[in-house]
Amino acid sequence: MAISVLICDDSGFARKQMARALPDNWDVEVSFACNGEEAIQAISEGKGEVVFLDLTMPVMDGIQTLTYIREHDLNAMVIVVSGDIQPEAQTQVSQLGALDFIQKPISKEKSAEVLKRFGLL
Amino acid sequence: MNKHIVSITEDQRDCYQEIANVAMGQAAALLAKLLEVKVILPIPVVNLIEVNELRMALSGIENSDKVSGVCQGFIGNKISGEALLIFNDASLSDIAKLLKYSNELDTSLDLELLMDVANILIGACLRGIGSQLDVNFSQGHPVVLGQHVNLSELISTNNYRWSKTLAIEINYKIEGYDINCDLLLLFAEDAIEVLNNKVNYLLED
Repeated sequence: MAISVLICDDSGFARKQMARALPDNWDVEVSFACNGEEAIQAISEGKGEVVFLDLTMPVMDGIQTLTYIREHDLNAMVIVVSGDIQPEAQTQVSQLGALDFIQKPISKEKSAEVLKRFGLL
Repeated sequence: MNKHIVSITEDQRDCYQEIANVAMGQAAALLAKLLEVKVILPIPVVNLIEVNELRMALSGIENSDKVSGVCQGFIGNKISGEALLIFNDASLSDIAKLLKYSNELDTSLDLELLMDVANILIGACLRGIGSQLDVNFSQGHPVVLGQHVNLSELISTNNYRWSKTLAIEINYKIEGYDINCDLLLLFAEDAIEVLNNKVNYLLED
């Protein structure tokens, strides 16, 4: 069965870049969200078994989204994809339960490597 | 000179914003390391504006603040422009503390600080943008626009040959400190079409 993948970023260009960076042969159902609120809605509808999450977003940012997912024990494996590459941001997201942190701009090689590492590919 | 109207579409604006977002993150990481602080990242603001509206583009800085600023020209692959880095003066003493400069700030030390931070932030931002757009920017010498002056004085000292500019504003703040600085990247009017073409390439499927 196809894995549901959610791409959450406020930038349309970034969402597109992320979608293009997904492995070609990966059997997935892709959905999109523009902020954390939309992401949580999608995850609760089962559309985000794997979530690629941006940090800097309006309405509800990535840190708030991770916190919510953790507090409500939502079923989502979150990979943060962010331009904020300060070590503190990376520590914070891993403490909040994110699987990994990928530095933007994303590439096909990088996404495949991370997905393989967590047995998702 | 061809006089057709320059413009950017919503998709292009979004793309510039995301490119700026990635570049400012790289610049902020360097600054965070240098000052051993956490830099709070904003969402970059991208606008095509008239040069005489520049004051409005600097939304991150209050009118009443005394400011100091540096500008630095850049050029690469026919894309030229100018980077402006503007601090409110309250920031300078905090940065001096973080850099462990002596507490007694004098004008020459202020200047050194300003130049140091400008070099890091502007250089890293341009590298970040350049690597995404496949452009190799070279930077000119930084020039002081003014120290401890009003924002309007600071900006009016600068004369541009363009009427329109693509302006990217990044307002950096530092957690736990009264540090507020505005990095403004201004692309020349005749660079916008070149940039738009590059961005269109990225936006293609």
